[in-house]
Amino acid sequence: MKRLAILMLGLLGLAFAAEPIKIGALYILSGNFANYGQASKEGASLAAEEINAAGGLLGRPIELIFVDHGKPDQAVREAKRLILEEKVDFLFGIDSSSVSLAVAPVANEYKVPLIVTHAATPRLTEMCLPYVFRTSNNARMDSWAAAAFAAKKPYKRWANIGPDYEFGRVSWEDFITRLKELKPDVEAVSEQWPKFGSSDYSSYITALMRSRPEAVFSSLWGGDFVTFAKQAIPYGFFKSIKFYVNPTGGALQALEPLGKNAPEGLLVGTRYWFLYPKTEKNQAFVKKYYEKFGHYPSYNAGEAYSGLMMLAAAIKKAGSTDPDAVKAAFEADGGLKFESIEGLKWMRPADHQVFEDLVWGYTKLTPDYPFAILDPIIVVQAKDTIYPTKCAK
Amino acid sequence: MELDLGFFVQQFLTGLATASTLFLLAVGLSLIFGALGIVNFAHGSFYMLGAYLLYWVARGDPEGLWWGMAVVVAIGLVLGALVERIFLRPVYPRPEHHQILLTYALLLVIEDGVKILFGSAYKSLGPPSALAMPVWILGAPFPAYYLVQILLAAAVAVLLWLFLKRTRVGLWIRAVTQDREMLEALGVPVPRLLTGVFALGIALAVLGGAATLPMQTVSPGVAVEAVISAFIVVVVGGLGSIWGSLLGAFLIGEIQAFGVMIWPEFSIAFVYLLMAVVLLVRPWGLLGRPPVVRT
Repeated sequence: MKRLAILMLGLLGLAFAAEPIKIGALYILSGNFANYGQASKEGASLAAEEINAAGGLLGRPIELIFVDHGKPDQAVREAKRLILEEKVDFLFGIDSSSVSLAVAPVANEYKVPLIVTHAATPRLTEMCLPYVFRTSNNARMDSWAAAAFAAKKPYKRWANIGPDYEFGRVSWEDFITRLKELKPDVEAVSEQWPKFGSSDYSSYITALMRSRPEAVFSSLWGGDFVTFAKQAIPYGFFKSIKFYVNPTGGALQALEPLGKNAPEGLLVGTRYWFLYPKTEKNQAFVKKYYEKFGHYPSYNAGEAYSGLMMLAAAIKKAGSTDPDAVKAAFEADGGLKFESIEGLKWMRPADHQVFEDLVWGYTKLTPDYPFAILDPIIVVQAKDTIYPTKCAK
Repeated sequence: MELDLGFFVQQFLTGLATASTLFLLAVGLSLIFGALGIVNFAHGSFYMLGAYLLYWVARGDPEGLWWGMAVVVAIGLVLGALVERIFLRPVYPRPEHHQILLTYALLLVIEDGVKILFGSAYKSLGPPSALAMPVWILGAPFPAYYLVQILLAAAVAVLLWLFLKRTRVGLWIRAVTQDREMLEALGVPVPRLLTGVFALGIALAVLGGAATLPMQTVSPGVAVEAVISAFIVVVVGGLGSIWGSLLGAFLIGEIQAFGVMIWPEFSIAFVYLLMAVVLLVRPWGLLGRPPVVRT
């Protein structure tokens, strides 16, 4: 009996002694977009909790260290601190495109694998850095999907309104270039570039309407999209155009505050939608998340959860946390294929970009939810989002 | 592009709507600096707090806007008075940077406070149903709510002017800017006067923030954005001058509105250009007073 107790204690001690796998998670946790970082944090925490409850990875628990990434220079400082002082095994997360471009070379230099779950500039994976991975789709796939939808419509006069920084610029550039390839007779009649995080879109809205577009592409996201929509409605903007498409408009962070004021019939995308796919796996995740946090998981909460689970799968496959072993696990056998809550994610070995089905849909108000949902849902197949890589391999 | 009057008026009114928001935001900052000599870095935080308080008081009902605003302004007055009595009064005799540190600390405390109370998600409240539709002016649509906001700002400007010019307390406020000691010697209850001015300044910020909620969203980041905008307005108009705030807000609103038409790629730059020109030509602002060297 006594022996058994000692044995148990010893085992317990061993379990505690197992050094945690440290993951430095960088997200926006202050300022105007803090709720995006907060959602990602919740998604990643839930994944870590589930992994640890199931005995951890390679017998080691996962320890997430959350850091507010702020602007690029602050993010680089924090990344270095995580690498040099906290001695993290992995870097993870990142909401902002500009931040991802600044942090990626640092992670790569120190050979600490970086797994990006949210930042969407295509340039990140076009750098082809050996230790940088993205487990969500990027803005180019969204823009190209939008262009494919747009090309099927009869509209020729297109306009843009997007935030004046990396993500907004690259989204429009990709969209209009692609659309002109698919439908050469389209014309860009106006481009509006309000400041990122602006609170006043009125003069941009009137300028946009004055150019009389038939259809408008917009990459305004989060609070920007909410404020824009609130100001656009009383100008009669949405009624003055025939088609509005926004690749990030399906984010719950935007649809929830808009509530029942949301304009219907907008074509919006979202990298993950809590009501799709209707698999047991996804429904269990949504239920657990809702019970724990009191709200539905947004797209980037879903991506953070899936991203950590995919990294866990790679570590398990590698049998170690060694950067080269994990890299090989992501790349081997034609790239890691991971069945996530969102469906299948495939990591392209050449540029470490994940391809997956994209969720789009038209906004619609229903009695079931206090905000607009996507109905009908339109799924863009992963195979239709594949674009050529610029990497050598 | 042909010049049509309807569009010109629409764009001008759009600029006025922006200006009315900026005026309500900046006028309290200017008033407080004029009377107390304190640069209130937390001014944008009170503006943000106004929007949050309205969101909270109205409980998601857009029709609660009117009485909600009254309640929120009352809360602002009390809050302003308390902050002045508890935090500011002890630092008046201290060096200026102590005062700046204090108001900056308030900014941080309020940002974290709203995060704890309201979370970091965007909060939004639609306009009352009667004002949710466009009104048509010379054939161009314009949001009805913006008209109300413009009238509100105009009313505040007129009332404030009457108050400062025509009442005894207004006279004292103008006097306290010039010579606090003399006013005290004349038997004016200066400490109470300062409490009142600060409370009024904060109530104006709170009103301004609340008035934007039907057309904007509020999140903890609004405070910093707002205080920067307020500083731009007072730098252009002149810190300490009520009319300066009005002129600064008007110029910035209209430049923004018409700048988008002239050069959409660089519309934001026009505002900063204006600020730079003012700083070079009249560093004390268009309607500000050049600093007097006191002996």
